[in-house]
Amino acid sequence: MRFSTLIWHNLLRRRLRSALTSVGVGVAIMAVAALLAISRGFEESMAGAYESRGIDLVVVRAGVAERLTSSLDQRLADRLRKLPFVEDVVLELRDQASLGDSALVGTPLLGWEVNSQLYESLTFTSGRPLKKSDRHAVLLGEALAERLGKQVGDTVELLLQEFRVVGIFTSRNRFENLTAVVQLQELQELMDRPGQVTSFQLKVRDSAHKSLDVEAVRAAIESLTDRQGRKLGLLAQPTRRFVTSTLQIRIAHAMAWVTSAIALVIGAIGILNTMIMSVLERTREIGVLRAIGWRKSRVVRMILSESLALSVAGAVVGVVSAATLVKVLSSTHRAGAFLTQEIPAAVVGRAMLMSIVLGLVGGLYPALRAAALRPTEALRHD
Amino acid sequence: MTETTSNENGEILIRTCGLCKTYRDGAVTALSDVNLTIYRGEYVAIMGRSGSGKSTLLNLLGALDQPTSGEVFFEGQSLSRMPDLDRFRAEKLGFVFQSFHLLPTLTALENVQIPMFESRLPRARRVAKARELLAAVGMSERETHLPSRLSVGERQRVAIARALANDPVVLLADEPTGNLDSRTGSAVLDLFDRLHRERGMTLVVITHGQDVAERAQRIIRIKDGRLVDAGVYDSQVLQKS
Repeated sequence: MRFSTLIWHNLLRRRLRSALTSVGVGVAIMAVAALLAISRGFEESMAGAYESRGIDLVVVRAGVAERLTSSLDQRLADRLRKLPFVEDVVLELRDQASLGDSALVGTPLLGWEVNSQLYESLTFTSGRPLKKSDRHAVLLGEALAERLGKQVGDTVELLLQEFRVVGIFTSRNRFENLTAVVQLQELQELMDRPGQVTSFQLKVRDSAHKSLDVEAVRAAIESLTDRQGRKLGLLAQPTRRFVTSTLQIRIAHAMAWVTSAIALVIGAIGILNTMIMSVLERTREIGVLRAIGWRKSRVVRMILSESLALSVAGAVVGVVSAATLVKVLSSTHRAGAFLTQEIPAAVVGRAMLMSIVLGLVGGLYPALRAAALRPTEALRHD
Repeated sequence: MTETTSNENGEILIRTCGLCKTYRDGAVTALSDVNLTIYRGEYVAIMGRSGSGKSTLLNLLGALDQPTSGEVFFEGQSLSRMPDLDRFRAEKLGFVFQSFHLLPTLTALENVQIPMFESRLPRARRVAKARELLAAVGMSERETHLPSRLSVGERQRVAIARALANDPVVLLADEPTGNLDSRTGSAVLDLFDRLHRERGMTLVVITHGQDVAERAQRIIRIKDGRLVDAGVYDSQVLQKS
């Protein structure tokens, strides 16, 4: 007999209780894995869109909590283009508005220049990109178009003005599948933000030492001054860092972690309860084990192994459930627009690590309590 | 603290010196000034009524409990100064309980292997040794049975095989026939006789039954926590057996 056989027999003694405990842990791990996967999916999706456009740096107003409130003079683009190593500067204005009388309050609106490279990350499922000659034309992300029930040729109302849908697209940035794109100048007029953009997106020329060049450009932008020598207050960040610092991603991560922490605490209490019951029921047996020479450390190992087995089994259940849940959700119209389809390996690894911590935390007190039993008292226990 | 380990009667295995045990801050005296010597290879019965303190004495001899005062010496070494009592119990002692205390989810063969986890024997050797021990107590046919499928006599045989797992120096048995009928009880005592005779094992049996005690070479009587009769050690009896 192996030591693990003993652990297995002990867990099978109360099959239903063991199964329910593992399922409880599984639900906690499922919540952790699914939420982490979703928040990571957001981040990857957003970062992927920038990277696919070849964007190296994103410039916003320093100190703003949310990039929608970032406000920059679009004429700065010319100064940025003149900086060494800069290949191109792309302008973007972001805002939000409700679309007509639909229930979609706060739909993100993007203002892009007609020849912007930003279009490169879009795939048109119908219609075409914006043309310079277009007036009051709009592109809709596929998910948004479906929610609005709009097709190319239909009209949507943006801040009481009629816009004609000329194209429907999907974007590498899943968030953008729920956005509407209009010409930069039209959005500036619509939102009463003439000459303003929310961000500049910079491409740095390819070279053997591009990361050094990107850093040099970043430093140069942040030290730009006006005619009086005052700093312009610009924040330039590499795309990956910019994405992780955006409010949406930070909120998504924070929500994932807080919800995960609550789920994990509940899971740990479940294991703790089960293991305390188990130790209580086996008090006399543990007394026998101690009497025949088992060390305290072996008793601790036995109880901890049992709680670890429960939590790792729960983790397997949880990860499989989370993968199924994410797959099902991502296939739906409502959630599929911004959900990743798979759980990344790193999230699976993190979930498994959490289950181990869960098992150790939930099993430690019962294990120490079992080891502290005095053989004579334990043997007298009814 | 160590002491001499032999006298004119032979090699001293266990000696107690002024052993006292009280409970509830001295309100209840379980043992009082017990001085006792047990020789290697001896078969001793400790006899007394219920509540006389005999189980307390066995617990102290088996390092399951600490005395309030006094000392227990094993092979000349004080138990109170022994650094690792778990190891001492695992290597030197075998316990047989009145209620057998087999693990209910393990087969007879697996139950016998339980003490061997502390001996670091490889798995194959553990299994082989457990089989040998079950054969020695006549339980080869039942090695895959769970305790619930064994008779009480068979359970006690498995418990004895478990007690022998680490080749102990002494077997401590607390009312080993207390839950058995007279026929199976007698069979268990026959097994003790055989262990004593064939292996030269030291046996200390706690009992309140005269018939059980009479199987031993020496009967130590205990009453109200005091030793009233330490019996007479007769090395000839040992040699004859």
